[in-house]
Amino acid sequence: MENSLLKFRKYFNQRYDIAREWKKQSNSKVIGCLPMYFPEEIIHAAGVLPVTLFGSEEEITIGNKHLMVNTCGMVRSTFDSLLKDKYEFVDGIVALLVCDQVRFFFEVWNLDHPLPFFHQISRPYKMDETVKPFLISEIKRFKKALEEFIGINISQETLLKSIDIYNETRALMRELYDIRKEKPGYISAEDCMKIITVSMFMPKERYNLLLKNLLSEAHSEESAHNKKLKIIISGHPCDIPPKNLLTMIEELDVAIVDDDLFNGGRYFAADVNVDGEPLIALADHLLNPIPCTTYHYPENWEGSGEPASNYGDYIVNMAKNSDATGVILLRETYCDPYDLEFIMMKHSLEDADLPYLSVFTEHETRSIEPLRTRIHAFIESLDN
Amino acid sequence: MIVAGIDVGSLTSKAVILKDKKLHSSALRLTGTDVTAAAETVFREALDKGSLKPECVERIISTGYGRINIPFADKSVTEITCNAIGVHFLYPNARLVIDIGGQDCKAIKMDDQGKVITFAMNDKCAAGTGKFLEIAAQTLDMNLRELGSIGLEAKNKVLISSTCTVFAQTEIVSLIAQRVQKGDIAVALHTSIASRIYGLICSTNPDFDEQVVLTGGVAYNNAIVKTLEKKLECEITVPENPQIVTALGAAVKAISNLSK
Repeated sequence: MENSLLKFRKYFNQRYDIAREWKKQSNSKVIGCLPMYFPEEIIHAAGVLPVTLFGSEEEITIGNKHLMVNTCGMVRSTFDSLLKDKYEFVDGIVALLVCDQVRFFFEVWNLDHPLPFFHQISRPYKMDETVKPFLISEIKRFKKALEEFIGINISQETLLKSIDIYNETRALMRELYDIRKEKPGYISAEDCMKIITVSMFMPKERYNLLLKNLLSEAHSEESAHNKKLKIIISGHPCDIPPKNLLTMIEELDVAIVDDDLFNGGRYFAADVNVDGEPLIALADHLLNPIPCTTYHYPENWEGSGEPASNYGDYIVNMAKNSDATGVILLRETYCDPYDLEFIMMKHSLEDADLPYLSVFTEHETRSIEPLRTRIHAFIESLDN
Repeated sequence: MIVAGIDVGSLTSKAVILKDKKLHSSALRLTGTDVTAAAETVFREALDKGSLKPECVERIISTGYGRINIPFADKSVTEITCNAIGVHFLYPNARLVIDIGGQDCKAIKMDDQGKVITFAMNDKCAAGTGKFLEIAAQTLDMNLRELGSIGLEAKNKVLISSTCTVFAQTEIVSLIAQRVQKGDIAVALHTSIASRIYGLICSTNPDFDEQVVLTGGVAYNNAIVKTLEKKLECEITVPENPQIVTALGAAVKAISNLSK
């Protein structure tokens, strides 16, 4: 399996060079997607490559001039990269409006660095059945705009095929995570994150073959690893976790057996279930995903008037299902949705007696050393 | 049974030797830039003080920020875990530890076995740490002990509003220029630290009815102790040697590690 892992690590480092190569060879277009939840299947069905944009590890310079410094690191860094022409291979940028930062700053991007195609899918913060017709209309609006830009009609058949391919990706990723739970520490958390992220830079068909290969190797190998402690991690929405942070967490005799990172469990959590119309299925997929700090569930308040956190409960269940003794919450500075949800989430975790550690990372901070003591102290406190 | 704990901190390194579960000897020195050499030297000093040879030591646990760079230690454990163990060894009834070191400060809530329940740290900047007092003392042209001795009663109340050490220094300079008494400035400084740490402490949700212990070099400053007691409205226990408590905890940890 080591060769396959080396390949994935190499692709992770190559990142957008993979998309650049694809563009040269295919003579087609590339659409950059901002995290999270963009219905990539529609882009795929148009014969175009969706690539998720994550900014870079570089210091943000120009980005800070155009956006306030207390904007989330992912938005600022990605914009910084755009302004520095690091996304020259991208023909358009799209985003699902997951939060205020993406919502308001996306238009600034279009102002300061226009591209031939800029599209926002509006998504309300409140998520319930009343929102579904609106989501369907938004998805249809995007499909139409993309068709006009590319100059192609996306047939129902093609869209269904793309959804199938993406569902296959999700199933394979789930298989990878099953291995994580069955053999704690066999595949490192850092590698798992890289494996998931690589899918965001290349066509899913090609990726599925690569991952299938790795999985068959993993199944046929005897695992010598069986780490003592099991924990889960949550958070770090919308951005690749800082380099080596996951490695640092697993330095002691502990394995991260599950997570809900965007560059992890969140990306493949739910399939698109087609029961007739694919566009409606895609709207459903946006409406009924796993809990997220960027949604709000009014039914929690109605009737009881009691605050509750679907997200907190979700984390508690994830820990139970993977036999984890604690959770580390990886938080990004300036992420309002996570900060606001955390207040209620804490109650769910404490009520369930699930030990947790909350650590912050900031895009500007290159060194994660200050986190080592906190993380290791937390893990020591779990070890009886 | 002879075990040792070595705490390599950002400012000072400490070594504690336990013989038959009792404190046998200890040593302290500045860490400097060579963490491994500091650990070796302070260990030797503790051995010499206790008239022991290194071969007698059956288990060594390292702790502190430099803990992973001590090749002769058997295991490294974070200073948070060791601090709690050390305090529990000295005061089994203690449930909250406040540690104010050279460059960080922490609050640790623990159970009746000395196990960490939760903790909070400030290691992003010097506010609320020994460094803050060191720079303030320099600016006031006195040493730390003098600063601690005059920082209790204010004739006129002044406020140091900056939490940032560098900006606080600027405030001190301007207060001196306005002919404010050094004693009044010292009180303001100690109040500032207490305020800074108060939020940190409360975030661990402690029970102030239970015993609270203060460790770290800043605990030698009586004004800090009294100011904190006033702020927290509880009595604070200060060990005889507050700087070596974490190294002591590491040594106690070595005992349990030995029996594994």
